Amino acid sequence: MSVKAAALAVLLVALVALPPLAEPYVLHVAIVVLINAVYAEALYVIMRMGYLSFGHAGYIALGAYTSALLATKLGVSPWLGILAGACVAAGFAWLLGLVTLKLRGIYFSLSVFAFAEVVNAVFRAVDAFGGPAGIANVPRPSIGGVQLNGHLGFYYVVLAAAVMSLLFLYRLAATRFGFTLLALRTHDTEALAESVGIASARHKTLAFVISCFFCGLMGAIHCHYLRFVSPFVFTFFFSTDLVIFNMVGGLGSFWGPLAGSVLLTALGEQLFAAGYYKSLVYALVLLVVILALPGGLIQLPRMREAWAARRLRLAKAPVTAVER
Amino acid sequence: MTAVLEVHGITKQFGGLTALDQVTFTVGEGELVGLVGPNGAGKSTLFNIIAGAFPPTRGKVLLGGHDVTDLSSHDRARHGIARTFQQVTLFPELSALDNVLQGLHRHIPGRFLAGLCGTSAYRREQRQLEERAEGLLGALGIEDHRDDIAGEQPLGIQKLLTVAVALATDPTVLLLDEPAAGLAHEESTRMMDLVSTVIRRRCTIVLVEHNMRIVSRYCDRAVVLHFGQKIYDGPPGKLTADQRVVDAYLGVAELG
Repeated sequence: MSVKAAALAVLLVALVALPPLAEPYVLHVAIVVLINAVYAEALYVIMRMGYLSFGHAGYIALGAYTSALLATKLGVSPWLGILAGACVAAGFAWLLGLVTLKLRGIYFSLSVFAFAEVVNAVFRAVDAFGGPAGIANVPRPSIGGVQLNGHLGFYYVVLAAAVMSLLFLYRLAATRFGFTLLALRTHDTEALAESVGIASARHKTLAFVISCFFCGLMGAIHCHYLRFVSPFVFTFFFSTDLVIFNMVGGLGSFWGPLAGSVLLTALGEQLFAAGYYKSLVYALVLLVVILALPGGLIQLPRMREAWAARRLRLAKAPVTAVER
Repeated sequence: MTAVLEVHGITKQFGGLTALDQVTFTVGEGELVGLVGPNGAGKSTLFNIIAGAFPPTRGKVLLGGHDVTDLSSHDRARHGIARTFQQVTLFPELSALDNVLQGLHRHIPGRFLAGLCGTSAYRREQRQLEERAEGLLGALGIEDHRDDIAGEQPLGIQKLLTVAVALATDPTVLLLDEPAAGLAHEESTRMMDLVSTVIRRRCTIVLVEHNMRIVSRYCDRAVVLHFGQKIYDGPPGKLTADQRVVDAYLGVAELG
């Protein structure tokens, strides 16, 4: 067992064992952090493939509304609703992916953004979907007849869902399917991929569907946590936050988006309590990272190695050479 | 000799421009055919049509007797066609080994669930694939660059790597688009020696080439295109004796 695996095991035990001792506010932050971590990693599935989405909140909203509507209008169990929310988001992703994944760069980003705007506009316009006021009194799920109205019970639901989702997304990158996605990062490499027999469109669509499935899943859970959803919850700014998590953490590995989402969400929740400084701070952090650490936070260990090597070189170099 | 690649009456029009006009030729098993012609003759267009990057306006492409004209590029790869690109095209952010592993795609079973769980059978299979990829790097003499990032290598290594990626598909017909272009003399000789020995033993080759010296030295046969039409199909040794080829290359003297 490596050091990394041991550290993860300790973290997991802490995440399971400590919450009964924690304040409700800490639990709240932990819940939001876990949810955002899954969103960020779900987005990373397609960012790793060279696609930047400014509209993943649309799929989160689809998951949230599906489960909320099923629970409030038809009395469907939230457990089924959450699954349905994930499937509805994945279904729309499949339909849209068939068309938009042919686009690259800003054209793709804008098309996904436009779809997310349409989703929110439809929810706002149609009274049956709650209209501008949204849907209130979305019930919490229950286990063994007990509704999870407290923070602690719901925390464990989120923890279980997040750990399973993150584990799946982590392992996904290690599969041959995940490896093949790396071949589809640009228009040129896609032509090369096709020439060696990779069905690029099918791979990209499936990756997009997986990405949006987990957004829909967590979106539904998120909505049952908030007990509420409206067209003003999962907006464009929600989508850009997910991009910022990825950029700040770094796109080089699975750990980048995870680090970015955990750090920024924990920070953002503190600031949210203090007022509306969240967007400002996110923007500043993003700017600093882009300028000083273009590879994101996961580059820090490598930077330290580089600095150490530089110090060593300077120490060994003759004094005159340094002065010059 | 069995024909592994047949090109029948290929015509390609871009708007009003006819890039290819009724081009027909066949390539037999084990042949090394040079596709020659001045700039703009339609060589690359023909290559792209054979590989399936875009469809012809009219005409047919047959691979091993199967009509593949309507197949997509990735489906043709499964019928045994592989290609390199005129502009060096690799997976620039991946290592040399990973580039070749991508090239092995059509021989790799997906095994999604086994991959998710990381079973020992899956890992064993993965090691076998890596060995196969290493073998290909070795065959082209670039095994020392196994872990180097492809996009950061010198042009000579990158060009050899593009051939390794194409060979990884285990093709019956390999289309090489100017493999020696842009290389220094020694590198170019090294590349062409590999093409005519190691690579030749593995598959039939169609080579787009500008350089007459290379064509006459290495190819069994030359097909010459000029303004989209085939003007010569025969032994490379007689190329320079053919008046139409000479005119195409040097231009017709217009006196008077």
